[in-house]
Amino acid sequence: MNSQILINYIAFPLIKIAILLAAVFTVVAYIVLVERRLLGFFQSRLGPNRVGPLGLIQPVADGLKLFLKEDLIPTNANPFIFKIAPIFSFFPPFVGFAVLTFALPLIMPSGKMHQFAVADVDLGILLILSLSSLGIFGIILAGWSSGSKYPLFGSLRSASQMLAYEIPLTLSVISVIMMAGSFRLSDIVTAQQTYKFYFIIPGIVAFFVYLISVVAETNRTPFDLPEGESEIIGFHTEYSGMRFAFFFMAEYANVVLICMLTPALFLGGYDIPFLNDLELYKTHPYLVNVLGFLSYAAKSTLFAYFYIWIRATFPRYRYDQLLKVGWSVLFPISLLNLFLVALIKLFLMK
Amino acid sequence: MEKIKNFIKMITFPELIKGLSVTTKYLFKKKVTEEYPDFKPHIPYRAKGKLHVQIDTCISCRLCEKACPEWCIKVFPPPKEQMKTDKRPQEFYINQEHCLHCSLCVDACPTGSIHHSYEFELVVTNFKELLFNKETLPYNQLLKQYKWNYIENVPVRPRTTTPLEQKENTK
Repeated sequence: MNSQILINYIAFPLIKIAILLAAVFTVVAYIVLVERRLLGFFQSRLGPNRVGPLGLIQPVADGLKLFLKEDLIPTNANPFIFKIAPIFSFFPPFVGFAVLTFALPLIMPSGKMHQFAVADVDLGILLILSLSSLGIFGIILAGWSSGSKYPLFGSLRSASQMLAYEIPLTLSVISVIMMAGSFRLSDIVTAQQTYKFYFIIPGIVAFFVYLISVVAETNRTPFDLPEGESEIIGFHTEYSGMRFAFFFMAEYANVVLICMLTPALFLGGYDIPFLNDLELYKTHPYLVNVLGFLSYAAKSTLFAYFYIWIRATFPRYRYDQLLKVGWSVLFPISLLNLFLVALIKLFLMK
Repeated sequence: MEKIKNFIKMITFPELIKGLSVTTKYLFKKKVTEEYPDFKPHIPYRAKGKLHVQIDTCISCRLCEKACPEWCIKVFPPPKEQMKTDKRPQEFYINQEHCLHCSLCVDACPTGSIHHSYEFELVVTNFKELLFNKETLPYNQLLKQYKWNYIENVPVRPRTTTPLEQKENTK
């Protein structure tokens, strides 16, 4: 009995976590490379292609370089907070991956069902939202503890930006939750499978509001005022070496997390398009698992490409424009949309 | 009607779609990057590279040596008795380390023996490698490599006849 508990509640989840973390780290490392190469292509360049075939070992080289760099702490900085801030920024996106479900449950030969998730929590989407707002602590602490005014300005910009865009983001996610009737991510996907249409159709407005505010949440290019690589000075100006790498990886982990969350909410997640999954699952469960996982991966890749595409295309917003769009355009639209979706749910979706 | 048009414009964002389509066009365009060490870059027709001397036509007049502002050419003419039959220099040094690629020696040469080649890779680990003598000026190998006759094709010398030929004509 005791060994059974050990296997079910400690060994099995630990293996799952190890596999998930390894996969996420690899994806995060390689999305950086893919982004750099694609940005090169968008600008008639080739991008990094020197290290290894097609530049595939570039992430290893980058990581090694950042790891071997000197770890500088400015004299004016508050050393304790300065050291702890990257961790605040680093861990929320990685925790967020735990609640994602990657395929329909695996049926073991003994008849047991195993979820393709580390923890399919019944408040999964809420957990991700709250963790994404926790990430802002890392940015504020980093900016404040650097002991320099420009990082502080950067972190303050970031704070009000995230506050402005968190509300439309949450409201558009709430419309999905209303349609699905559950906070659990696997339930949201199952609802789309049983309704036989994706939530992007009734929630098209919510989808676009979500897309815009999610780009702002992850501090990506049209809204990358907290960081502002090219002209304005961002919150991690004083950081170098491994601590900078933590911020860098946190940003890209956030991107990967959002790229995997968006299909689950709006495009049916691991649902296979043009096929009745739940019917097929009764006869060929393993086939549906594999195909479902592949379709989920394809949808996520689509969104990752979309992110990079947007970054290559649009110039940065001015700060007042950014807040104006957030508060006076997206907020009322998402509120109206919530009302609309409620009506749709009430009259059209039984 | 106008209001409807404006409304459609407002909700479809034509500018954004236009921008995205422009970047997509560039995604599939040919890339302009030249991958230099793997592929030889395009060298302009009148590029001035390393100096090279065609020893066979050189008459040891030392005009290039005197024209050089950096004193990087050193010609050793043959002894006086030999000068009557064979005017080719005994030794010819070019110190590429000091060369400005100014073409003054090329202009001064009466026979067109000294000229620039298309070789531009002058990075060495030891400065002595930049000192070329008669043997290490691989002119004939280069002619085969680039498959053209440099003197005939490149208009670096605007004069139709060399001073020597003019002298012969007046005789």
